[in-house]
Amino acid sequence: MLVDDGSKAGSSGSSSRRSRPADDGEAARRRKRRTTLTRPWLLLAPSLIVLAGLLLWPLIQVGKLSLQDYKVKFGGGEATFTGFDHYKDLLTGELLWKTVLPNTVFFAFACVGLTVALGTAVALLLNRLGPTWKLICSVSILAAWAMPAVTGTYVWIWLFSPEDGMISQLADSLGLIDAETTNWFTERLPFYAIATINVVHHGFPFVAITVLAGLLTIPKELYEAGEIDGANAWQRFWNITVPTIKPVFLVVTILSTIWDFKVFTQIFLMPGGSGSNPDVYNLGVYSYIEAFAKNDYGAGAAAAVLLTLLLLAITIVYIRTLFRQGEEDL
Amino acid sequence: MKRRVIAAGCIALTLGLTATACGDDGGDSGDNGGKVEGKGKTLTVWIMEGTNPDPRPFFKEVGAAFEKKTGAKIKVEYQQWATAQKKFTTAIEGGEDQVPDVAEVGTTWVPQFAETEALVDVTDDVKKAGLNNDLVEGLKDAGTLDGKQYGMPWYAGVRSIVYRKDIFEKHDLKPPTTWKELQATAKTLKDKEPGLIPFPVAGGAEMFATPFIWGAGGELATQDGEKWKSAINSPEAIKGIEFYTGLATKDKVSPAKVNTWTEKEVGDAWNKGQVAMAIGGNWTPKAITDANPKLKGKLGAVPIPGEKGGMSKSFLGGSYLSAFNTDKKDLAWELVKLMTTGEFAAKWAKQTNYFPGQNSELKKIEGQKDPLVEPFAKQMIEAGATVPKTKAYGEIQASQVVTGMVQSILTGKSSVKDAADKAAKDMDEIFAKDK
Repeated sequence: MLVDDGSKAGSSGSSSRRSRPADDGEAARRRKRRTTLTRPWLLLAPSLIVLAGLLLWPLIQVGKLSLQDYKVKFGGGEATFTGFDHYKDLLTGELLWKTVLPNTVFFAFACVGLTVALGTAVALLLNRLGPTWKLICSVSILAAWAMPAVTGTYVWIWLFSPEDGMISQLADSLGLIDAETTNWFTERLPFYAIATINVVHHGFPFVAITVLAGLLTIPKELYEAGEIDGANAWQRFWNITVPTIKPVFLVVTILSTIWDFKVFTQIFLMPGGSGSNPDVYNLGVYSYIEAFAKNDYGAGAAAAVLLTLLLLAITIVYIRTLFRQGEEDL
Repeated sequence: MKRRVIAAGCIALTLGLTATACGDDGGDSGDNGGKVEGKGKTLTVWIMEGTNPDPRPFFKEVGAAFEKKTGAKIKVEYQQWATAQKKFTTAIEGGEDQVPDVAEVGTTWVPQFAETEALVDVTDDVKKAGLNNDLVEGLKDAGTLDGKQYGMPWYAGVRSIVYRKDIFEKHDLKPPTTWKELQATAKTLKDKEPGLIPFPVAGGAEMFATPFIWGAGGELATQDGEKWKSAINSPEAIKGIEFYTGLATKDKVSPAKVNTWTEKEVGDAWNKGQVAMAIGGNWTPKAITDANPKLKGKLGAVPIPGEKGGMSKSFLGGSYLSAFNTDKKDLAWELVKLMTTGEFAAKWAKQTNYFPGQNSELKKIEGQKDPLVEPFAKQMIEAGATVPKTKAYGEIQASQVVTGMVQSILTGKSSVKDAADKAAKDMDEIFAKDK
């Protein structure tokens, strides 16, 4: 339909063009400029409308909600405008600065670092394997990737479950802990260590597959040249592999950062993670508890907006770095 | 989407019409006289999954009886306890089109739903039907706010103490009748049965802790006019919390793994035969013996002892059947009445191992003298308690204030006093917000 409109406009233009050539050329140019300006938007419109409906509208609603006190009523709620009260409460609260933000940020960075390191190591391994072993290893890491977060979390809880879990028993028999008096889920550090293992285990396959794809694009000649110059494996990795596929590392790092900042399921499902242990709140869980446990939708929305802003900041860094990378390549 | 739902509804209605039309050919003897006429209508009913192991046959019977009585059909939709409250809230926000006509509503949810004006006030209907004097008092009270009753008590349960009769007999132990005895029994069990958990102090189970708060004479919160104020850090409440958590921290009759357990994990441990004695609901013994038939005949029950004899109060939890403010509320009340009284109420209670909400039906059960039922019935009639009747308390529960307090004591992160003070502060914040 869009194309139709364009061609019709074109033909009607050509019919009038004949009468006054000079003026006509000007008009045609203007029309052409208009078409080049509008056509991309027209073509983008369907997807933009869908995105606006699915993402922008809810985002605006959450923003609006964060400025209100909202009360559920039969057949439609009542909202009272409260200005920036929820943000003030959130940002002046001790819980945010001492627990929620540190948990969110440190956990995300630990997860990202470990995910990228492990993923890269696995990619390097896969790159060196023969076809059979490559297939076997790829299938096993894909299985880790395909595991739903809920199932994965329960498996890790089960392995670490105090006294009876396999890892607890192992640590006890090695004399590291006393299984009867140790409960790893009640303390912040062990709790997040287990969550980190869980998230890294779930996240590294993506990094491995992506980095492997990058590795396959590196010409063999580079390594051969390096070898002739006497570079060892470590030097070849840092001086050939890393610089060549830097964009790939950028993508996986920043995507992992975004994902690991908003981890919710893996924390919420762990013992004590759903609210009874405030020491282990992260932004996602905190926002959920405020909104859906305390029915304080405004405060929950404010926490969600804060998380969105954090992610937005990371995304801006991501996009700018990518574009800068593109310019360098040119 | 909406249009499709409407279309489906129309089809269902048409089918319903023809079906009832065919059914009526046999000739109705006219016992519909004066009753609500519901021919061609269908009531949507939300029922919680898991209370009755197999509720389908029950609702088939109810559906048949209801259709015979009013001509209307019922459509039962099963809901999960874990997510139902949010689903209700969303439906209420959506209004008349989205709420069910009749639903099972947990007693602690009634204040929240009633405040939104979604539930039908049935006080007069209950009186008219002559039912108001036959309802179990604690249950009737749980769903009554400002003198308005929002539904009919359907079934209820209560927690007491469940113990291993065979183990107790082996070591010549008697079921405890005071807190001191409870403590001593648990300690003996720890010495003599090292493979079993003597008395789990489950950090994630709110209703394991509350009997000790109430038993020491404390309260969770108190009401002064319209306002609620926390009382969980009163000297009495603290004494109860101290005793309960002390069982784990001082007497060590509950290992560290139990610190993060909820009732589900305690149940799992029972099923594996790892527990000697624990707080448990009237539904627990059957659940245990179903999962582990080896324990059949080896379980006993006793009311939760008071500090110095008598009984400690225990949470009287249950479900209401409530009608929602839809255009079919008269018909809905007929269904509520049918299910919460007489034959169907008794049948449901029997199938689920819960207690009915009618005194007359409850007496019948007590009269059967079943040793795994009677102690619970006694606890329910004589020592049942409800949590503060306000929407705010639902939020306090959802944000796990009491379990959070217990856990922070069990893990040694705070003293009993500090933890209780913090819990009181958290509660008061939520009360203040919800004025």
